[in-house]
Amino acid sequence: MTPDMSVEVGALQLRGPVLAASGTFGYGTEVPLLERRALGAMVSKGIFLRPREGTAPPRIAETPSGMLNAIGLQGPGADALVRDYAPKWAGWDFPVLVNINAESASEYGELAARLDGVPGIAGFEINISCPNVEQGGLYFGNDPRAAAAVTEAVRGRTKLPVWVKLTPMVSDIGVIARAVESAGADALCAINTFVGMSIDLNSYGPRLSFRTGGLSGPAIRPLAVHLAHQAARAVHIPVIGIGGISSAEDALEFLVAGCTAVQVGTATFVNPKAIAEVHDGVAAFLEAKGFSSLAHLPRYLPRD
Amino acid sequence: MFLLDAPITGRRQVARGMFVIGMQAPEIASTVRAGQFVNLGWSAGPLLRRPFSVYRSDGVHIEVVLKAVGEGTRQLLAMDVGEHISCLGPLGHGFEFGAGTRTAVLISGGLGVAPMPLAARDARQAGARVTWVHGARTAVELCSETEGDEILWATDDGSEGARGTAVAASPDAELVLACGPNRMLAAVAERWPEAQVAVETYMGCGTGVCLGCAVPLQRGGYDRACREGPVYRAADIDWGALPSHLAYAVTA
Repeated sequence: MTPDMSVEVGALQLRGPVLAASGTFGYGTEVPLLERRALGAMVSKGIFLRPREGTAPPRIAETPSGMLNAIGLQGPGADALVRDYAPKWAGWDFPVLVNINAESASEYGELAARLDGVPGIAGFEINISCPNVEQGGLYFGNDPRAAAAVTEAVRGRTKLPVWVKLTPMVSDIGVIARAVESAGADALCAINTFVGMSIDLNSYGPRLSFRTGGLSGPAIRPLAVHLAHQAARAVHIPVIGIGGISSAEDALEFLVAGCTAVQVGTATFVNPKAIAEVHDGVAAFLEAKGFSSLAHLPRYLPRD
Repeated sequence: MFLLDAPITGRRQVARGMFVIGMQAPEIASTVRAGQFVNLGWSAGPLLRRPFSVYRSDGVHIEVVLKAVGEGTRQLLAMDVGEHISCLGPLGHGFEFGAGTRTAVLISGGLGVAPMPLAARDARQAGARVTWVHGARTAVELCSETEGDEILWATDDGSEGARGTAVAASPDAELVLACGPNRMLAAVAERWPEAQVAVETYMGCGTGVCLGCAVPLQRGGYDRACREGPVYRAADIDWGALPSHLAYAVTA
């Protein structure tokens, strides 16, 4: 018998635990080969209130078992998102959350208010790995007060689910996790990319024009499992695991380590069918182990 | 767009260090247009797929041309006939051939030969007389396979054909198509702003999602080599902002 793969992330009922990570599935409309049948939910490409050009090339560099990217959140802005994509999402059989970005807490709130109530938008994932322009460019995600302020600013403008995507570039992810939980987050996504750098030995300079980039891919997976686990131990809201997942076994590591669901990202670039394969593999594992439901999967989550 | 497990059907050398690999990929072979590419992956290969212009197609098989420029291409060249390559394509926007074109010149530098056999085929089908101008550093690096009504060579050291660049050796024509290092394409853009050029960029997904293959445009902003490109009107690109030296590329 096919096991019950459904999960609850806060108030959102998802048909499966495997989600598409922001920036790796576009707006869900680009690639006919991207299989949507097994998607629990999609998080759309990160958006700002206004259109963004993005950074100069080179924007990506491959590293061992990983890739660095500095795309610069190129995007069409909120109005175009509402006009061009949300109407399509409204007809889909899984929820689409929008990854939202801003340069100040008030601008995060403004963006959430602009998108709140638009048919097709089921919730928000806040990217707090953005520089806070009002605070000299410090990252929201590194400071529990700033992270909480952003969460509150969004929480105050919408009744839709609010997820917060945590950065791994912190000394204690539990502190940030608790801060955004207290500020009203419905779930946490752990983790975003690690900041990395790669040097070109022909030009004696960085391989990316932006100098640094976000490291993703299998290279970061054990780091991500650890941080997602730490976040899950620190809070009582669901944690969605992210980081280098390309197989069912990878996803199961995050689920056993305390995550309610997972997001697949870079693997989709390599294999457009990755999400469906991960979903099917998790179901096959549960069946082989005799579990009738994902809810029965044993978890390793000792409380702090 | 198809995702196929394609068996390797052959390999041959066409210049010093330059090889053609053939694979059986009927759905791609029967739909690919000149200037389009495939994104190739293989087990034990690097994380990301590698983009290659389609060199030839017979409707059942496709061929790509490559040099061992990095670990990935070295692995590809070490694979045997019968082994499988995961083949995603056809991808991108190829060359356009207007009906009634009387003369076409194809300009290629080094691995820029990659899209030219298909381009020659389609230009001739459109009724054009085709001149192919191929440049390389030395005679031994010139691709031994050519297509077209007239073939001109150019080498940096003068060891074959004209001494100097392929761009300098090219006659004028109604239709100018070019592929090669981005610096060469910038020279094409100066001489023929209306030329169609196939650019090289780093690429992530190849399908328009990751936005990693950004091409800077004269009108401002960026678009995607994998989707709107890799073929562009030469005058549309901001050549000063397009990186010119890549370890691997659409043409590599």
